[in-house]
Amino acid sequence: MAETRTYLAVFEDIEPAANGIEKLHDLGVTDDQMNVISGIPVRPSILERPSAVTRVATIGFIGALLGMAFGIFLVWGTPFLFPLLVGGQPIYPVPQVLIITFEMTMLGLMLFSFIGMFVDSGFPSYTPKEYIPEISDGRIGVLYSVPTDDENKVAEALKKAGAQSVGPAEARQL
Amino acid sequence: MAATAEPLPRFVPKAGEEEDPREHLMHDPRPRGEMNSMVLESMHTAGWRYWVVTGVLAFLVLTCLVIGWYWLIAQGLGVAGVNRPVYWAIFLVNVVYWIGISHAGTFISAILRVMKVEARRPFTRAAELMTTFGLVQAGISVFMHMGRVWLSYWLIPIPNERGLWPDFHSPLMWDFMAINTYLLCSTMYLFLPLLPDLAMSRDRSTGWRKVLYRILALGFRGTEGEWKNLRTAMTIFAWAIIPVMFSVHTIVSWDFAMATRPGWSSTVFGPYFVIGALHSGMSAVALVLFLIRSTMKNMKYFLRPEHFNLLGKMMLMISMAWAYFYFNDYLVPWYNVDKWDAILRDFIEKGPIWWLWYVMLICNIVVPWAILWRKKWRQTPWLMAIVGLLINVGMWIERYVIIPETLTINRMPFTWRIYIPRIEIFLTIGTFSLFLLLYMAASRLIPLIPVWEVQEGQEGHILRKVGKAQIPTVSEID
Repeated sequence: MAETRTYLAVFEDIEPAANGIEKLHDLGVTDDQMNVISGIPVRPSILERPSAVTRVATIGFIGALLGMAFGIFLVWGTPFLFPLLVGGQPIYPVPQVLIITFEMTMLGLMLFSFIGMFVDSGFPSYTPKEYIPEISDGRIGVLYSVPTDDENKVAEALKKAGAQSVGPAEARQL
Repeated sequence: MAATAEPLPRFVPKAGEEEDPREHLMHDPRPRGEMNSMVLESMHTAGWRYWVVTGVLAFLVLTCLVIGWYWLIAQGLGVAGVNRPVYWAIFLVNVVYWIGISHAGTFISAILRVMKVEARRPFTRAAELMTTFGLVQAGISVFMHMGRVWLSYWLIPIPNERGLWPDFHSPLMWDFMAINTYLLCSTMYLFLPLLPDLAMSRDRSTGWRKVLYRILALGFRGTEGEWKNLRTAMTIFAWAIIPVMFSVHTIVSWDFAMATRPGWSSTVFGPYFVIGALHSGMSAVALVLFLIRSTMKNMKYFLRPEHFNLLGKMMLMISMAWAYFYFNDYLVPWYNVDKWDAILRDFIEKGPIWWLWYVMLICNIVVPWAILWRKKWRQTPWLMAIVGLLINVGMWIERYVIIPETLTINRMPFTWRIYIPRIEIFLTIGTFSLFLLLYMAASRLIPLIPVWEVQEGQEGHILRKVGKAQIPTVSEID
């Protein structure tokens, strides 16, 4: 069985990239064997790609719950430990609980969403990766893995679809 | 990536015809590589004027802020003008002012992003930077106001053996939580959309800049998963930071409104402060955009009259809203005929510093209403910068009227005394200088224009032929 290798096809624009991905599908390359790198976000349906799965919202939601619990602890828990009588107000006043709980919930939501983006994207990562600087100049790169036996056939099809260059993807220091 | 918009034929306007669509950034696309180069060139090119201004600002920071604050700490608050009955003075005027400035970034970036206002794209980062740097000045001013800064950790709600316990009944405690939440969240929100531009800078830099951007870009490549995560996080931030923004200045207003003093005890203070914050923040953005456009290379391509026009419309609306809330806050005590409220009103309008109140009204209402109604004037950057500056003067004075002037009149006439600032003047100059210095440093270190967002917008804009006309059309490609 031939060895599988990762290749990088570079396209000038969205249109030829979409055509190239269509060709890859036609040649039996599955979505799992592909990844698109681009300088701007492109809606998956434009390239006929499945939507990427993200856990950022879930992690953020967990953060919001933790933040809410922390807020409630601060305003309700601490007076329980150190009761303070102020201006005839109850020791556990509801309006203040709402204010602090709101702030801590939002802090938890945003902090964990931020961390979630790092965790889900594998940031920070300074190891060499398959990438070319032209991507941030607006090119679209399609990374795909195929058996080395099919290398020429696939490359030919991608060039016909409008790829500027096709070749083995080399991991490089970013 | 070339924009998908069709090249436009030469536009020859006829009488009564619309403007050339190419006047709009979204309809005047350039290749991404060219835009990248333009932004990087603006970061790397610093003429002698840049260094002169930076040197002057650094000198002011050193003398007015560093030495001034050292003097304040060494001598105590006695070197400031605060004394009975005005214990809250310019330091807190500055706190409220800078928190107000910080609202612009969130408003422009988050609300306009949520509303999908396309013209926001080139100047969101310039506004977001104002949020972070503005909050830094607010934080510094709080510490100045405290005097004994080495005891500032007493504010933090941690168990302690000093017999002190942070009191969550106090609005000042809410303030601590809200401002820190806002500072943390707005800094993260600044960083998120910056990632792709840091990656772009990394790809085109050498030397120490390459090392810096490689570290900051975190290994971003622009894979589908990375974009999805980034967009999801940005959407969460854009929605979540809006209520936080409203809460922050509302809570700042409660620092005053919860006190049963004449001039402060008002139920309208929350929204009135929020609108005031937006008034000064939005105007400051116009001023800063003018400075960026005038002093940095290639910025005239990205920051165009259409952007000043958008800002001008928002400034006009906000000015009207501010006038509405101010009138509410003025009218109700006027009808109540409370003795102390009436004395305070007389003092503000007819007292020894009566002119401040009139300058405030002229700057905050008369100037914007007289100028911003006309599109041609809104599209004139230097005029917008002047209006922005005057509104900021007006809004700073408004905070001065609310805090030291109002505190002058209380229910114990024997304590009445006119507040005269002393070292506060130098420290105020210091914080303004530090804000500008940070901004100037940032302009050379991070791309002030979110190039990927501009390109994304340009990709989605095309001219569609409807009948005999070409109509600008937007499609969502993200």
